[in-house]
Amino acid sequence: MVLEFQKPRPIWQIMFSTHHTDIGLLYLILSLAFLFLGGSLALAIRAELFFPNIEGTGQIIADSMTFNRIFTVHGTTLIFLFIIPFASAVGNYFVPIMVRYKDMAYPKLNAIAFWMIPPAAVLVWLGFADFTWYAQPPYSIISAPGPAADMWIFGLKILGISSVLGAINFVVTILKCKHPDMSIGQVPLLAWSFLVTSCIIIVAIPTFAAALLMLLTDRLGLSGFFNPAMGGDPIAYSHLFWFTFHPEVYVLVLPAIGMMYEIIPRFSRKPIYSYNSGVFAFVLLAIVAFSSWAHHMFATGMSFTEKTVFMVGTLAAVPASAMHVFNFIATMWNGRIKFATPMMWAVGGMALFFAAGAGGVVNSAMPLDFSTHDSYWVVGHFHLFVMGTIAFASIGFVYYMFPYVTGRMYNETAGKAHFVLSFVGTVLVFFTQHVLGLYGMPRRVFDYPPIPEWIAMNQIASVGAMIIGTSMVIFLINMIYSSAKGELANIEDPFGLGGKYYYPFEAKNPHH
Amino acid sequence: MKRMIGLFLVLAVLVIIPAIDLAFAAGDEPGEYLDRRVIIWNLFFRLMAVAFTVGAVVSGTLIWLVWRFRESNPKAKPTPYEGTDW
Amino acid sequence: MSGHSNMPEWIYIAVVVALMTWVGAEAWNAERLVEHVPEGAEVIKVTAQQWFWTFEHEDGTKEIGELHVEVGKAYKFEIESKDVIHSFNIHDYVVLMDAVPGRVNTVWFAPTEVGEHAIQCREYCGLLHYNMRGTLYVEEQSS
Repeated sequence: MVLEFQKPRPIWQIMFSTHHTDIGLLYLILSLAFLFLGGSLALAIRAELFFPNIEGTGQIIADSMTFNRIFTVHGTTLIFLFIIPFASAVGNYFVPIMVRYKDMAYPKLNAIAFWMIPPAAVLVWLGFADFTWYAQPPYSIISAPGPAADMWIFGLKILGISSVLGAINFVVTILKCKHPDMSIGQVPLLAWSFLVTSCIIIVAIPTFAAALLMLLTDRLGLSGFFNPAMGGDPIAYSHLFWFTFHPEVYVLVLPAIGMMYEIIPRFSRKPIYSYNSGVFAFVLLAIVAFSSWAHHMFATGMSFTEKTVFMVGTLAAVPASAMHVFNFIATMWNGRIKFATPMMWAVGGMALFFAAGAGGVVNSAMPLDFSTHDSYWVVGHFHLFVMGTIAFASIGFVYYMFPYVTGRMYNETAGKAHFVLSFVGTVLVFFTQHVLGLYGMPRRVFDYPPIPEWIAMNQIASVGAMIIGTSMVIFLINMIYSSAKGELANIEDPFGLGGKYYYPFEAKNPHH
Repeated sequence: MKRMIGLFLVLAVLVIIPAIDLAFAAGDEPGEYLDRRVIIWNLFFRLMAVAFTVGAVVSGTLIWLVWRFRESNPKAKPTPYEGTDW
Repeated sequence: MSGHSNMPEWIYIAVVVALMTWVGAEAWNAERLVEHVPEGAEVIKVTAQQWFWTFEHEDGTKEIGELHVEVGKAYKFEIESKDVIHSFNIHDYVVLMDAVPGRVNTVWFAPTEVGEHAIQCREYCGLLHYNMRGTLYVEEQSS
């Protein structure tokens, strides 16, 4: 692992480098920057919903169009510009080291995949589209305004290509460049998670890429694939979209589980309970990921049979996810667990993973869709995944990587405070939003009628969001201050766990 | 293993047989309309009862685990792997 | 890796699979009951457009933003949209179905008590999505 800040190099050396740790660092910085940007949009959303708008009071954002643009960019940013690049950052740092290769298989391709993200991000942010992160036609064809929508389409197109290039690189690195002495059954589970996710990306993304092109030509009036006025079918878009983006959920969550597989055994001072069941569950999840996409569309008028098939497909993902949880718990059992910050985040993420999964089971039960679909229940449910599980594992991993990247230790107290505040905030926001959904509040609303229960729960959620916001400020300060002024880390064993680390310190500084 | 079979028998009696029973017994009597609220919320609360039970078991296990095997617990002892090359 | 028994894990997986089977069976059964539209349900045509609801009763009367129904009757909504996708929702009666341009979706319900309930749009449909609301009036049977 490189010590970026101990031996400072000119910034352009990092920017023009093709070394995997340099690109990993670029991914890391970019993704964390967008975590803060996307998160501040979330705070704007929660601030607007703190009060219902009664006779001009309680309104913070100027108009509903601005609000719609904010939640669209919030979703797009955190999924495509935080979670996915963050996973790439971890993969770039760790996968070549774990398979004992000097670099990624295609270093230049790796750099290209990274440098496609900033222009795409610029398109998404300058456009500030308003049609939600799934750009549902016919709204996105006949109603969404101006260049914003087209910029979003091009931005997502570029991000899709970038993901596919990155995925190809990971697959080749793991399968073809691993050390000849190493069998595929010895590749650490974190690298396995990247192998599996990359396969999902390669299978899933082209469908969405096609749908985006069709959407664009529809917008230009050249075609009518999804435009009912020209004989098209908007539901066809939903199928294409969710065929990509339900598996994409696993693309987001599997690296997070891989990160937990890295953190939990390390801090429990024990090997993983069952490596084989971890691999098996990863592969199984990658397969069942493709059997459940239409559970997002139960309310679009699907037949009973279709719904049943997709409900069964959805439930099939549960045992595999449960195997991971079992593995984590069994690994911690009889360990001697050091609750340093990364471990706290991993265990907190695991606890919320269960809640998110249980909510998902309830969602997939067909008739309950009538009460939960497109309500705040759904918002609470998937945020428990993306924030409670994925972001928790990711942030834990930031703390875990920190000494290896900077050569210095973060402030442990601040890290723990960050965890506690975030955990409390996450529970407050997203558990409350589940209940709010049961009371019938639709999602994506700029304003809501002043029903006392709705007001109360919105305010609890907003307070929770502010708590998360505060904790993120602590995080930001801790990261910036500690990377410059933190204590020097003992790079052989920065967390004082004893034992031998089998790879991180083996990597050398890049000599380009 | 015998105990497991017993457990599944109990589960079958408690859960599966009534469900199948309900599925085939319920028909449509004329005049009375089903109340969709009753069916849907009933299902919801049954699922919630199960979810919260399982959740209590899982989070209870997790909390106990975190409390018992933390490094600072007086009963904590080094794992067999510490100091080795695992 | 180490030589431990896998029995606990298999038992655990069996329990999870059994639970999921139960969830699936229960959901399947409830959905089967809810989907079955009773004979003789009155048809109400629901038309969604940005950003209001139009209702047309069987006898041809039209209402905008308001819907009057009677206790004890079954109603079948035939939902369509004139522009973008909306979602017709009476949360108090757990009625929800997307209004998709180019197709007619159906959902039914039978109101049981006199009262007023909110009708809202659950699917994002643009500028005034948040305000695409109506009211359901459940009244005593007239005849």
